[in-house]
Amino acid sequence: MLSRIAESLFWLARYIERAEGTARILDVNYHMLLEQSQQSYRLRWEPLIIMAGEEDRFRKLYPEVNAANVFEFLAFRADNPSSILQCISKARENARTIRDRISREMWEDINGLFHMANGFVAKDEIAAGPHRFCDKIKFGAHRFHGVTDATLPHDEGWHFLRAGWALERGEMTARLVDVQYHNLLDGPPAANALDNHQWMAVLRSVGAYEAYHRQYHPPIEPEKVAEMLILHLQHPHSIRYSATEVQAGLRAVSGSNYGHYANEAERLAGRLVERLSYDRIADIFQQGLHGYLNDVISMCGSIGEDIARTYFYYAVVA
Amino acid sequence: MGAVPKQIAKRGLFEGYDTGGFYDEMFLASGQPRPPYARLFQKLCGMAPSQFEERRKLADLSFLIQGITFTVYSDGRGTERLFPFDLIPRIISASEWRHIERGLSQRVVALNLFLHDIYGRQQILADRRIPRSLVYSCPHFRREVIGVDVARSIHTHICGIDLVRDSKTGEFCVLEDNVRTPSGVSYVLENRIVMTRTFPDAFEDLQVLPVNHYPAELSRILRSLSPRGESEAQIVVLTPGIYNSAYFEHSFLAQQMGVELVEGRDLIVDGGMVYMKTIRGLTRVDVIYRRVDDEFLDSLTFRADSVLGVPGLMGAHRAGNVALANAVGNGVADDKAIYAYVPEFIRYYLGEEPVLRSVETYICARPEDLGYVRDHLPELVVKAVGESGGYGMLIGPASDRARIDEFRQRISADPRNYIAQPVVPLSRVPSYDATEHCVAGRHVDLRPYCLYDGDKVTIVPGGLTRVALQKNSLVVNSSQGGGSKDTWVLRGEN
Repeated sequence: MLSRIAESLFWLARYIERAEGTARILDVNYHMLLEQSQQSYRLRWEPLIIMAGEEDRFRKLYPEVNAANVFEFLAFRADNPSSILQCISKARENARTIRDRISREMWEDINGLFHMANGFVAKDEIAAGPHRFCDKIKFGAHRFHGVTDATLPHDEGWHFLRAGWALERGEMTARLVDVQYHNLLDGPPAANALDNHQWMAVLRSVGAYEAYHRQYHPPIEPEKVAEMLILHLQHPHSIRYSATEVQAGLRAVSGSNYGHYANEAERLAGRLVERLSYDRIADIFQQGLHGYLNDVISMCGSIGEDIARTYFYYAVVA
Repeated sequence: MGAVPKQIAKRGLFEGYDTGGFYDEMFLASGQPRPPYARLFQKLCGMAPSQFEERRKLADLSFLIQGITFTVYSDGRGTERLFPFDLIPRIISASEWRHIERGLSQRVVALNLFLHDIYGRQQILADRRIPRSLVYSCPHFRREVIGVDVARSIHTHICGIDLVRDSKTGEFCVLEDNVRTPSGVSYVLENRIVMTRTFPDAFEDLQVLPVNHYPAELSRILRSLSPRGESEAQIVVLTPGIYNSAYFEHSFLAQQMGVELVEGRDLIVDGGMVYMKTIRGLTRVDVIYRRVDDEFLDSLTFRADSVLGVPGLMGAHRAGNVALANAVGNGVADDKAIYAYVPEFIRYYLGEEPVLRSVETYICARPEDLGYVRDHLPELVVKAVGESGGYGMLIGPASDRARIDEFRQRISADPRNYIAQPVVPLSRVPSYDATEHCVAGRHVDLRPYCLYDGDKVTIVPGGLTRVALQKNSLVVNSSQGGGSKDTWVLRGEN
């Protein structure tokens, strides 16, 4: 497989995942926040911008952090490279460069998703609130997963997609937990019921609400939510699960056996999986959640760089 | 006799249809449909405009979802546009197609012999059958490949030769030879697929020859060029990338042939061999179907600022380690001034008379022609010799004084760069006018795609019919508002 094609598959998956993740978070938070008082309202929009890593850009464009501005910025703005529309457009651009290598169904699906997303009129959607838009994006992304899974041979190309998807998801979950945790615990003291609402929103934003209730007893406790999102063995949005997927995808490409690694990306992925498998949530809190999650995020970054170094880039032979 | 069919012609979609004094592909001068079109005409007459409109929308949607688009750069952003597709097919009878096929085969073989000669012994120059100065002044004549052996002596693997039917004589004649990197064949194949999906009933009772064997035939020819033999042949399609207007076609052909689609940055030359960069290391490449123009192919040989090609590629090619299709330097054969000599090539190399007529051409580089052209600009079509895509063109009768004067100056300043031809009144085919909601005659040309394997020329039946959808327009290029039609060649007499 051409290195460029592997790279495009990897990024195709990452952009789709980023669009989906942003849509989820935007949707759930928006509805939770609308139920709250004006005071906490202002505070709660900021995490979304911080999470996207686009604080500076946002401040330059908008005088105020409010529902409409955040929604517009994260969903529609062409000058925000991580807006949902930009992610989908970049995903489609990647798909277009490799359309001879993906299934016709995949191409038509993502091309349809692109046209559908671009068919929304930002002004109308801002007036209507993000649910309609975000829902379409979310299910559009799910459908693309499904179409990919069902029509693309599960060969090495598919494993690059898998690694891209999982790496992006793991990183997004880490950012989500970090930002929300920091915000909820350091914010102004709030009634228990309100806190509860916030944690429900966090769970819902990754589709883990029902799963949480099957595993833990009410009430919703921040530590348990963190445990679920960081360490859960099977929930597809937990960081541990994502890291395991990254590792599995990389191993499938290289053919490495258990306990061995063929390159730096695999070594780091293995280390991440080991940590997440044997650390307990109490230990994590003891050493500091923020530091722990920052480590995870930076490891995800390094894994991405090492995948590129191993498979995508060639030293120029002059 | 003529009165009855005329009444038929006025029903439904064809209400008010007027052939306008041009050769109409569907109707005889009497108003009766020509025999190959008779069944189609009946079907269309039975359709309400609203039904037709519905199918048209379906076809458009299908092209949009498949992303079958081309890119226009005129607005500075590179917008993707649909290549307008007209649902009414153009039909060619079996006997007419045999004639076209014979003429094109002859022409392709002669063009190939010319290229082989001009980059080899140059016998035709020694025999003074074409002025040396005309060949050497052609900007697409590549001195760099003189004496380079090409695999199996094939230069013109893929040709797209533009034909038009002259309304005055009703005859097909050759308007242009495209022997560099002609595009559009993907539309031939996709148009047929969309047509069979949205308008299946139109095919009933007609035996339309299939076109879908093109990729297999192309792949066979490319494989035969491999320096390591066919069984090991690693073939790639080289594209300038997604911003090229024909990108869809590049990826389509790669996919259909089951070969890798590469960009220049995916390839590397090492030790005189070409390799592609894969996740498992370097893999040798044997044959490149390149859709990158000569001047961008190799920054060490041609334009030094090109990033689209592969540095060192020409060295590997010269050493016989990689085959290129089409060959480098073909532009000298489709230069619009050299075009006037192609009938001469046919006589010189094959000892035959041309089957297909060429359009009378004034070569401004010849002083006697230049004088005539300057005096008759309002009646002539002027073309820049090295341009394609309908750029750099003057259509005398449709231009105002200022533009004509501008061209007169341009021609005087650089006569070698221009040729002139009389305006050919192109034939017309009924086409749907979406603004008027009716069917009207629109001018068409025909670009059949010819594949040459060194022994015989294979042509997929039909080709791309391009249609000037603007009323009264003669320019069919997609970059200038043209569209296309499915083109049917019928089996057996009809």
